[in-house]
Amino acid sequence: MVSAKRKRDDEAENATPRKLRAREPDKDNVEEVLEIETPSRRARARQIEAEEGTPKSILKKTSAFDGINGTTPKSKRKLLFTTPSKTTNHETSNGTPTLVRSANRSARRKSNRKLIERTINGADSDDEALDEEEELAEQILSDEDEEEDAVAGAEQEIALVPDTPSKRGRGRPRGSGRPRKQRSPTPPQDLPAHEEYFWQNRPAGNKTSNNTLSAQTLLNHDEYFETMQSYQDRHGSEMEFLLELHSRAYDQWLFELEEGFNICLYGYGSKRPITEAFTAHLYEDLLCRVPYKGTKKTPKIVIINGYSPGSTVKEILTTVASAVVPGNFKLPNQPASLLAYLLQYLSDHPPSHAIHVVINSIDSTYLRKSPAPNMLAALAAQSSINLICTADTPNFPLLWDVGLKAQYKFLFHDATTFAPYDAEIDVVETVNELLGRSGRRVGGRDGVGFVLRSLPENARSLFRILVSEQLAMMYEDGGQFDQDDVTATPRNKKITATKPTSESTQGVEYRVLYHKAVEEFVCSSEVGFRTLLKEFHDHQMIESRKDTMGTERLWVPFRQEELESLVEELSGELF
Amino acid sequence: MEHQRSYIYTPPESDERPAKRQKTDKGHPHSLRRERLQTFREIWAEQETRIQACLKTTLEEADEATQENIVRFVAAAAERDQELRASIPTGLIVAGPSIASHGPYFERLGRQVKESTNSAYLVLTSGESPNLKTLLKNLIKKATSLADDDDDDDLGRTTGPSRNGPRLLDFDLGHLQKWQRSINYRTIVVAIQDSEAFDSHVLSELIDLLHAWLDRLPFVLLFGIATSAESFEDRLSSNALRYLEGEKFDVTQSDEIIEELFSTTIASTDVALRVGPNISRRILDRQKDHVQNVQDFFDGLKYAYMSHFYANLTSIFLRDDLAVKNLPPDVFEAVRNLPSFRRWVGGMLEDGRAQDARNALQSDKYLFDQVTQNVTSGQAILNAISGAALVLTRLRQSLQISQKVPLSSIWIKAASGEMLNSPMLREMMLSVKRMSSDKFLQLLGSLQDLEQTYFPIDLDSYQSKLDVMISENDGAVLKTQHDVRNDTLRTTVVAQKVLLSKHKAALSEQDKAYSELVAQFQDELDQYFNTTFIDPKELFLIEILMYDLKSPHTEVFQPKPRFAVERALAAPHDYLGCECCSGEGTRDGEAALFSTQPATAILYQLYVESGSVINAADLWSAFNAMAGGEEEDDESKTMALFQRALAELRYLGLVKPSRKKTDHVAKMMWKGL
Repeated sequence: MVSAKRKRDDEAENATPRKLRAREPDKDNVEEVLEIETPSRRARARQIEAEEGTPKSILKKTSAFDGINGTTPKSKRKLLFTTPSKTTNHETSNGTPTLVRSANRSARRKSNRKLIERTINGADSDDEALDEEEELAEQILSDEDEEEDAVAGAEQEIALVPDTPSKRGRGRPRGSGRPRKQRSPTPPQDLPAHEEYFWQNRPAGNKTSNNTLSAQTLLNHDEYFETMQSYQDRHGSEMEFLLELHSRAYDQWLFELEEGFNICLYGYGSKRPITEAFTAHLYEDLLCRVPYKGTKKTPKIVIINGYSPGSTVKEILTTVASAVVPGNFKLPNQPASLLAYLLQYLSDHPPSHAIHVVINSIDSTYLRKSPAPNMLAALAAQSSINLICTADTPNFPLLWDVGLKAQYKFLFHDATTFAPYDAEIDVVETVNELLGRSGRRVGGRDGVGFVLRSLPENARSLFRILVSEQLAMMYEDGGQFDQDDVTATPRNKKITATKPTSESTQGVEYRVLYHKAVEEFVCSSEVGFRTLLKEFHDHQMIESRKDTMGTERLWVPFRQEELESLVEELSGELF
Repeated sequence: MEHQRSYIYTPPESDERPAKRQKTDKGHPHSLRRERLQTFREIWAEQETRIQACLKTTLEEADEATQENIVRFVAAAAERDQELRASIPTGLIVAGPSIASHGPYFERLGRQVKESTNSAYLVLTSGESPNLKTLLKNLIKKATSLADDDDDDDLGRTTGPSRNGPRLLDFDLGHLQKWQRSINYRTIVVAIQDSEAFDSHVLSELIDLLHAWLDRLPFVLLFGIATSAESFEDRLSSNALRYLEGEKFDVTQSDEIIEELFSTTIASTDVALRVGPNISRRILDRQKDHVQNVQDFFDGLKYAYMSHFYANLTSIFLRDDLAVKNLPPDVFEAVRNLPSFRRWVGGMLEDGRAQDARNALQSDKYLFDQVTQNVTSGQAILNAISGAALVLTRLRQSLQISQKVPLSSIWIKAASGEMLNSPMLREMMLSVKRMSSDKFLQLLGSLQDLEQTYFPIDLDSYQSKLDVMISENDGAVLKTQHDVRNDTLRTTVVAQKVLLSKHKAALSEQDKAYSELVAQFQDELDQYFNTTFIDPKELFLIEILMYDLKSPHTEVFQPKPRFAVERALAAPHDYLGCECCSGEGTRDGEAALFSTQPATAILYQLYVESGSVINAADLWSAFNAMAGGEEEDDESKTMALFQRALAELRYLGLVKPSRKKTDHVAKMMWKGL
């Protein structure tokens, strides 16, 4: 399409009589300068900008660096424009809004036609009428040129203009399209939040580099803990101060609890230090009160760590029940009936003081699912239960609708601590999972080798089959890539492959693997096959998922290189 | 301990314990806290009884009427012959849009139903009924756990069916039948609490099924409806509708109840501590926009009271039994620091009462007397304002001024000192001027039961004068000179132009006398409003008498956790207040990136700048360049921080794994949205 337009332009240019040329030599010169000089000038200007850019944000620097290497990470869009690479040129060539372009072109053509007519006819009679139109057309053209003038700027470079202006006719001058956007290398600053969202989600705004983290860069558990042990936070004293600040509110919270409210703490940072200290405070406070003062009895405060994997409502209720109900009562087994029983018991035998229940991370994934919030709310609504809980995620109020909120009767307090989520998060595991490297969990390749050595030969054979099948599929999909480029994990190799393959082809189909295993006499029945797989599952050496069709697929969560060396090791051992 | 899922707290064994206890026992920085909290409890108890009484009268009364109807309906359903039932008796309970109050309502209803009729009452909510199977399972579970001693039966049941037929699936209503046979309820009431949230197919199927079992199980259905009975009907299949025999019950809407509560609590003429107009407006707006729940109104009010007494030292003066010698000097210091105290002393100096001012500043005794006096008088003034707001509301009602303004908004306006010279008041005074004798009578009647303490106008004398006038006028309606009905329009043609002119009809003697009476009434009323509707903010000791602080109240009830987290990460200095990350040279409003900031904050800001998919490798190099040290061996430390920060972002739900490319994560939240 572009070429067609250019052709037409060429025709127009060819038809232009010399007279016009002679009239506008300056313009041609300037345009020529533009065409020849701009790229380098621009590149230089960019370079400077990249270097002088706000020193605050390192992003610009690093991405400028990347850009020079030719691997523009498009995600850091500040950089996008600093690359004098091909992409920019490409954008320029069809940058002009078509409407303006065609309008300009038609104006030019029109004026040309007029000139031709005039020279052919030689008639002066309609000169005046023509003049007006011509002026208009010329004005449009020169307007455009002025714009370019302004851009091209430097006078001394005009001297370098080559003498053949006729060549200039090919298409529109390059720099003229979309001038303003081109010239600001930084993305718009200080956008309102919603505009920023659209800016960052604009089509083609999401080009990112293909850089990957090498396996050695990420620390494993041991390295991480070793490093962290010697690490000292430079804001230690400020964090202490924050805690101290919060501790001043403990008495207030006690008062609020006493008045029948429940407390929910939110804000960035682990709030365990606060709940811990508050619980201690509460404990001391209760010890000085009537049923405990001067006796050996101690108050019972229920602590629940919602973030620990596998937390269930049932467990919470059982613990609360153990604090409320004397031991010799038989408790119902089902959570729902246990809750009903508990509430009934509390209203029948109101305790001398409210039972305090401390829940760390009430918004953890384990306590988010359906019956949990409802049951906790019902528990919290009981007047003899005082709930103190913390919530970590920023959007936790969405967990509760008005009804639940009314039951919870929360007072919310901002308890930002900046404390690390040491207990809440398994850092290494989370990052590995986030980056699709959950295979590292077993202790990497060595760990798998270790496990395999302890397994019977059949298991090793099965694992070898699985790995080689998986590798075969990888080669099939990503064969056309250089060996270096194919670093994708099986999980997301589909996207790196050029041909659009669906997600469903990830991993090896259960059936296929089974038949292979039977063929190679690894197992004789599906039961045996399952038993072997279970061992792998237990050691988290394989992962499985049902694809869209409902077929189960299995894969080993490692990258290609690791798989390759695994196969080598396995084969070496076996043969 | 931290990795244990749940446990009972045991204090760590350390030597610090005695020291800690000491700290809590004595040396409170806040003196008289116990006394203040005691005062709070007393004063709040007053409010609480008032609220409970109000709830009893309005809510329960309204509730009771409908609930009784429903109970009667259930009882009537029980009377019917089981064999002859053709359709399920169904109560459609239109409970209004305030879903939060539905739960308590159905609970109360359940109690009532169980008490008055021999019925089982099973509530189902949408959350536990995603499909018919789960719904039935839950229904059966709820029913069978109603009978507490059923636990042993449980064991028996599983073995039981093998004797007489196949084992029942756990969602088979046969269980219910068996249970019903053993307990023999007259009716089984199934209440669908939030019918709108149910899948309409599930509802239709449920109705089909219950109908099929109707000859064996005496079902009665109750539907809680937040919209309207019509729209509920539209959602059901016509087949299911045929099986229902509906009756509609309207429940009093909660906004009426809230209005009632407002007038008995905040706008009452007898309150020790006022809740100010700003907070009241907030509480009301919250009711209107978000919750619509009586309990929440109650909580908001209570928290305002709590805050006042907890944080304000001078609130101790709201106690009756005070003596100077019992008060520590810092209480008086606190009073002397009140802005209204300064104004007051300033006023004294302007009046030339220098000695009084000196006394107020120096003598605790003098100040004590003044404060106790002024607290009492201030309370009276505030009460008078509430009274006047009530008078104004009544007047507007009886004059039938078209734009209906509830007492709450009139009170808020009055309490913020904006009532005088307001169009609302002027409009009302104009209509008073124009009112005819029948309206006047009505008006006097409507004001009759008001407390005379706050309303100085002698209504009785007006009443008797008016009675005499009306009887003199043979019972006909009297009009004032301002009455529009006395105006006539007259057209005259002068020099071919039509002139339109207004003319007052001649007033009769009686009307004249009546006009004078009304004018006198209006004058008195005007004076009354002018003296009562003062700006409470100008009062001495208003800080003691009225609680109107926005600060803890808003955050505590309407937190912005996302904003808090974003702010902590984008501008950690705001929280940490450290030297190293202070915003030197930042553009205002925008947080800047510093290498000294906490790792997560740095990573978060890089995250904010990036697009919707982020390359972790590039993120790492950016992070390393920013936070990494000079030496090589620092890298593992930086990496550890990077990993921790990334894991925290993941934990906060800001990123999630992306399958698009290797080592990429997807952005989940955009700052400030």
